[in-house]
Amino acid sequence: MATDALPTTPMIEYRDVHKTFDLPVLSGVDLTVADGETLAIVGPSGTGKSVLLKTTIGLIVPDRGDVIVDGQSVYGSGPSVLAEVRRKVGYVFQNAALFDSMTVHENLLQGLPDALQKSLGRKEALRRVCAALEGVNLEPGHVLNKFPGELSGGMRKRVGLARTIVGEPRIILYDEPVTGLDPVNSAAVERLIRRIRERMGVTSLVVTHDIEGALGYCDRIALLDRGKLAFVGTPAEFRRSHTPMVMAFADRTAAANFSVRMLDDESHGGPSESWQNGVENAPDA
Amino acid sequence: MRWLGNLIVSPFAFFGRGCESAAKHAGGIALLVGRTGKALATGQVSARAVLNQAYAVGVQSLPLVTVTATLSGIVTSQQSSYQFTGSIPLYIIGSVVTSSVILELAPVLTAIVLIGRVGARITAELGTMQVSEQIDALYALGRDPIPALAAPRIVAGIIAMPILVGYANGVGFLAGMIAARLTVGLGTEAFLYGARMFWHNWDMFYSLMKAVTFGFTVPVISVHMGLLTRGGAEGVGRSTTSSVVFMIIAVLVMDALFPPLLLN
Repeated sequence: MATDALPTTPMIEYRDVHKTFDLPVLSGVDLTVADGETLAIVGPSGTGKSVLLKTTIGLIVPDRGDVIVDGQSVYGSGPSVLAEVRRKVGYVFQNAALFDSMTVHENLLQGLPDALQKSLGRKEALRRVCAALEGVNLEPGHVLNKFPGELSGGMRKRVGLARTIVGEPRIILYDEPVTGLDPVNSAAVERLIRRIRERMGVTSLVVTHDIEGALGYCDRIALLDRGKLAFVGTPAEFRRSHTPMVMAFADRTAAANFSVRMLDDESHGGPSESWQNGVENAPDA
Repeated sequence: MRWLGNLIVSPFAFFGRGCESAAKHAGGIALLVGRTGKALATGQVSARAVLNQAYAVGVQSLPLVTVTATLSGIVTSQQSSYQFTGSIPLYIIGSVVTSSVILELAPVLTAIVLIGRVGARITAELGTMQVSEQIDALYALGRDPIPALAAPRIVAGIIAMPILVGYANGVGFLAGMIAARLTVGLGTEAFLYGARMFWHNWDMFYSLMKAVTFGFTVPVISVHMGLLTRGGAEGVGRSTTSSVVFMIIAVLVMDALFPPLLLN
């Protein structure tokens, strides 16, 4: 799955993206995702991975910089362009974000634009909903009329995924798709990410903490640390990297040692130079 | 000396923060109302969603409105009976009950019921949707939460509230009449005579104007506060409490503005 080929046609470009809430979250992120590529974004909690994902479709507006999706500037154009970008992009939320008051069927219909539903007719819309559920290994007859509250965590994630793919997007953004799932369900969701990419040829951007899983299905991996990209490269490069932060993420033992050093540094007045400066393969460098 | 500086500056800072917060809320509410108007004008609001909300706001509030209206009629009638015994003709009770219920008690108590039953629910519901990313999901799916969530609730409030207040007026009036008969033996004819004595048709219009205003204000504030919610379950609790306080103050302030504007 992983390839050493460099990105060709850009599908998503983050250009100097800055965002500050109480503290800076993103500090000038430049990243390009190629058409059809699967890129995983990893990094410590609270380093702006989900914020970066949300800037792609205007759910969070950056303070500075721009995002270009399929050649269209999300922040340099009007609301009609943003609406068009949102039609091209599917977003899988961390906790599925299913609408509690709607059945699975109604939830999935939300993934089809109203105009398309009208032109398809009820039967065809239902067929697409069922196909999307089957695409994520769910039996439509069992779940179609259930409410999200009646589903397990793994099933909710898969319904969220089905709601995203029913509209046949060109790009799918996954926000921690396996967080909170047991290993079996995590592996199932990861298989689905791979299968959706193969079947639909979509560009995928996956924010995850599951490094091992991500290394198995992504073409490239990016490490975000304190609002900046600390590494971008192929899984093979990620494994070979000697950057302490990357090593910490690639290996549990190194992670344990790294966290001890990090805590030690913080207790002595801040992080040490050794892991602050350990940036390699930084994008656009 | 620094503490002295802080002492002098802090009231101004407090005032400034208050003004900033008020301006933000005013701006947010104005935007919400504008976007709701646009959604209605462009036919983006589903009639089915409005009817569902009108059922939740109106029909499901009827039992509680019945209780408050009945009790307000009974209490007004009994207090008037107590005050008028021996000095003022008892048929005046009919006038006092009618005016009190129609001009004041029915609209305000129904608004309070609406705040507790509907306003708090709307804020908690939308707040939960906000913190669980369901609102973000709507945007991500290319849908606007204003026509889908806000507009049906606001329109339902405007439709349901005058009906509820009209109903509360009738129930309060009847309860006052029955209470006057049972407690001081005032007959129906005498009660109706007193009620007609100071009656103006304008009073009913005034009552329904209040109803429309409160029926608009309560859902607008509750939707606005719900969409502003941040910070998990605690944030939902905080915004629901703030919303209820905000709605009660808004209703009472507007209630105080009605007499100088419409009764002179």
